[in-house]
Amino acid sequence: MIETALAAAGANLLAPAILFFALGALAGWAKSDLNIPDQAAKTLALYLMFSIGFKGGVEANASGFSSDLLAAGGLGLAFSFLAPFAAYVVLRSTCRIEWVTAAATAAHYGSVSVVTFAAGSEYLRAMGVEFSGHMAAVLALMETPAILAALLIAGSNAREPGARFQPTLWREVLLNGAAVLLIGSFIVGLITGKRGMERLDGFVGGALFQGALCLFLLDMGIVAAKRLAEARTLRVATVLFAVIWPILSGIAAMFAANLAGFSLGDATLFTILVASASYIAVPAAMRIALPKADAGVYLPMSLAMTFPFNLVVGIPLYHAAVQWIVR
Amino acid sequence: MQVVDRKKLDIFIESHALERVEEMLGRAGFKGWSVFEGVEGSGAHGAWRQTGIGESGACLVVTIGGDEASEKALEWLSDYFKTYPGVVSVSDVSVMRGERF
Repeated sequence: MIETALAAAGANLLAPAILFFALGALAGWAKSDLNIPDQAAKTLALYLMFSIGFKGGVEANASGFSSDLLAAGGLGLAFSFLAPFAAYVVLRSTCRIEWVTAAATAAHYGSVSVVTFAAGSEYLRAMGVEFSGHMAAVLALMETPAILAALLIAGSNAREPGARFQPTLWREVLLNGAAVLLIGSFIVGLITGKRGMERLDGFVGGALFQGALCLFLLDMGIVAAKRLAEARTLRVATVLFAVIWPILSGIAAMFAANLAGFSLGDATLFTILVASASYIAVPAAMRIALPKADAGVYLPMSLAMTFPFNLVVGIPLYHAAVQWIVR
Repeated sequence: MQVVDRKKLDIFIESHALERVEEMLGRAGFKGWSVFEGVEGSGAHGAWRQTGIGESGACLVVTIGGDEASEKALEWLSDYFKTYPGVVSVSDVSVMRGERF
């Protein structure tokens, strides 16, 4: 079993998506002028969310509304909302980060990464492991509860200036583009089902999706390398947190998924979601909600450390561990 | 050539605040403004860069108006900058077609 897991981890390292991420990171580190225009990167991100949501909706339509969906959704909401409280306590006690930055960082680790989910899905497909379409809906549900948790943490520290609750923030939290597109595409897929997939099959799947994912990961590599080079204020403890926290929260997710009776594929994807950290929706919300929080701490942690760790090591590691737990 | 004296404000803010700042400028009495999107830079909060991932760029709002509108805008901005990052600079300018400002 260990040999199989190591072989899968080795194959993952040589997957085009991972190699393109490494290429981007190398280019960013070497200060190459390789650059994906920001509007192109935004378009790629929108395309990935569109495809993931739509495919998930179509698959949920085929399998029908089930109690599994409710269980997965409920568990996802609970993890996303509760994880920031635990992360906050650990960040404050071990990393010695000031409270407002710790609250913002905790929100990143409660929320999820769409691209880590996409890479995890592709990994499972390559391994021939089936998973439910409704996991795309779980992904969308887990985007925002962590932001609300961070606001509650910040609210409890209201003696300090900085925490602001305003209409702009609620719009950002509840109607952020990523959540709207993911849930919207999922609903369109759910309504149109197989008929819709016949029309969009060549667009949302296959080589086009793979290529877009590779191109986006190339850009992520560039951005992550640049972010890491600029992250001069990070302590060793925060770097360790960025790597150890995903493993610990992933272990909790594995056992919860097993107790809830998830399939191997669903449990792996759920673990990947819980172990991932946001770097699109949450930073935007934190700039409005907690402007005094230091983006120089939370962005390098989620984008330049946790994301590459999950992409390269985490996904095969979680899959191997889930195989061992979910029998 | 006929020119008149006016105040010019260069307001540098994060993009999430743009809507509120534009609304404020209208209320303060400015008749128009232009918005420019920032690419990258560095300041008290460290380096920032407009990327498609995780970071939205900062904006520069340039507006020209009378003393009264300028005072009202600066008052609002001084309160805003207590919480959020940003910069405003004020300069005396001479403009043609003064009735437009």
